[in-house]
Amino acid sequence: MNVAVTVDAREDIPVWLAYGTPVFTVLAALAVSAIALVVLDVNPVAAYATMFVDTLVTEFGLTETLTKAVPLILTGLAVYLPLKAGLFNIGAEGQLVAGALAGTWIGLNVSLPGLALVPLMFVAAAVAGGIWAGIPAYLRAKWDVNEIITSLLLTFVALELQSYLLRGPMQGGTGNFPQSERFSEAATIPELVSGVHAGLLVAVCMVVVTYVLMTRTRLGFEITFVGSNHEAARQAGMSKFYVYLFVFVVGGAFAAMGGISEIAGAQGRYRAGFEPGYGFTAIPIALLGRNSALKVLLAGLFFAVLFVGGSSMEVAFGVPAALVEIIQALVILFLITAEFFKSYRVGIDIKRGPTETPAQPQRGDD
Amino acid sequence: MVTFIAGLLDATVQAATVLLLAGMGELISERAGVLNLGVEGMMLVGALGGFITTVLTGSHWLGFGVGILLGMVLALVHAFLCITLKSNQVISGVMLTLLGTGLTTFFGSGWVEESIDGFPQMTFPLVGQYLVGVPVVGEALFRSTATDYLALGLLVVVWYFLHHSNLGLEMIAVGEDPEMADTMGVSVFRLRYLAVLIGGGFAGAAGAHLSLAFSQLWVPGMTAGRGWIAVALVIFAQWRPRRMLVGAYLFGLLDALRIRSQSISLTLGPDAPLAGVINPIVEFLMTPQIMGTYPYLATIIVLAYAVIRTKSDQLAVPSALLQSYSRETD
Repeated sequence: MNVAVTVDAREDIPVWLAYGTPVFTVLAALAVSAIALVVLDVNPVAAYATMFVDTLVTEFGLTETLTKAVPLILTGLAVYLPLKAGLFNIGAEGQLVAGALAGTWIGLNVSLPGLALVPLMFVAAAVAGGIWAGIPAYLRAKWDVNEIITSLLLTFVALELQSYLLRGPMQGGTGNFPQSERFSEAATIPELVSGVHAGLLVAVCMVVVTYVLMTRTRLGFEITFVGSNHEAARQAGMSKFYVYLFVFVVGGAFAAMGGISEIAGAQGRYRAGFEPGYGFTAIPIALLGRNSALKVLLAGLFFAVLFVGGSSMEVAFGVPAALVEIIQALVILFLITAEFFKSYRVGIDIKRGPTETPAQPQRGDD
Repeated sequence: MVTFIAGLLDATVQAATVLLLAGMGELISERAGVLNLGVEGMMLVGALGGFITTVLTGSHWLGFGVGILLGMVLALVHAFLCITLKSNQVISGVMLTLLGTGLTTFFGSGWVEESIDGFPQMTFPLVGQYLVGVPVVGEALFRSTATDYLALGLLVVVWYFLHHSNLGLEMIAVGEDPEMADTMGVSVFRLRYLAVLIGGGFAGAAGAHLSLAFSQLWVPGMTAGRGWIAVALVIFAQWRPRRMLVGAYLFGLLDALRIRSQSISLTLGPDAPLAGVINPIVEFLMTPQIMGTYPYLATIIVLAYAVIRTKSDQLAVPSALLQSYSRETD
């Protein structure tokens, strides 16, 4: 008996595979994570029921999810947009922190009525996040310095700066905690509906803006073109330089808006360590939603459910919230595994008896 | 001042070993053309695995071995995804860091209060007891843990392996030009697997050193970004083992300085000229958190400088880094 595994490039992707991948991926990640629950002697079915049902049917769960989704959607866009141009923004976390710090500084030191102050905070945050992302973008666009490494390293610089500012110049409130003064009424992002702040509106608007940009404008076409073949784009007269700068700077501004929404909308003051890796969660979000900005929105909502459900599971079963991190990692793991099966067809050939030409593997079907 | 410098050097050696071990692994993996951004995750898995083993068996060497093994297990996933499935190396690496952080936080929460007898400080074999009394550098060089010495020894091994052994040179060839190496009869896939596995083993060892020798306890997320520093260090060293040594000690010194910066004062006396301008700047630059940014900033500057100054084909970065290899390309 002779078993041969053949791998052939697919010419076209079957519809069920193209649309089913995100669903299969998530289900597989949940199934594998169940092992961790069983190890801890927790019934996975009951735990997942708590995680999803309680989050999606209670008012508290829903408002928490919508609030949590704001920074996730915005940082997701911050990774999605450069990805479209073929760039990796691994530093959305740093851009989020830089933006949140700048916005917080305005919120605490400028006195204006809320209608003017909150937009000003968003602008300040976006500018700071844009500059923070602009550094790796400029280095890449001008001199081809690898943007993955530089944007990542700047994240750690931003986190150290955050720690410095909140223990020094920006520290406020009582006690010795690394946190800022509480925001005034004017500097707080107003509520949209009960419990959900208006940052959600900003996030949805940015998704729509990105969607229109990518599908309806010349610039969006150029981004996609540069991303799929920058050599051909150059010959067609498109400037890689401006496209690279644009996607990164705008991405950084998106992440920064996510940061200031979370601080001024959900937290009420800047606390060190308020961001449980939003910038890194942004990577699976952008990957799940890489086909369209609208899918980034859906993926952001899904991860928000995971975060909120994760903490209610933590309360109910004493399961460490780190399970959410494991699920996230597994989602990426299965997603990139699925990419392989999307582009290759794997066949297993079983023949009885020895084959004369083992060097010539045969196709399984056709 | 002498005691301060002696203490600083001692702390530098301790801080450098973690970076040296993790950095060497990353260097080997990248030399073969596979970027590993999962070092941080592999270090954490190695740190927790080594710690638990040592608690249960009492043997820190067994713990160290288990740490190496677990680093390799995670590296095997990376190798399978990046080499066999030709997945994106960046995504896979970030995923493994997430996975390692999550898994160790999840399974390590019950081990935080445990205490162990890790690697003891010992004098260097044979000559150490006579030289440890040498002023300033004696303690730093001749009284350390066994893993500190091991890391330095491994550096020589890695340098010799990469630049003077057939296998190492083939590995470099695979990272520079896989098609050519394949034509010459070198097994690209096998060598890349080997390089990634060795890299994971080194990362696991770095983590085990951290929990068994450096701090002798387990805290979730205790690597505190050192895995990312190791990735940066390889760029800083421009993919050369000897520069790696210089880099690791330089970064280690920055780490040690940051921890001890409170006890020194570099400010001018109040009567010195320009004291009013210079002192606040010096104080700002000496803040521990600000000093914490230096390794990252230094790496960005070195990277940018190296790329801008040299033509890209002269830069030491392995030409096939981040490229998956496939025989079927025509």
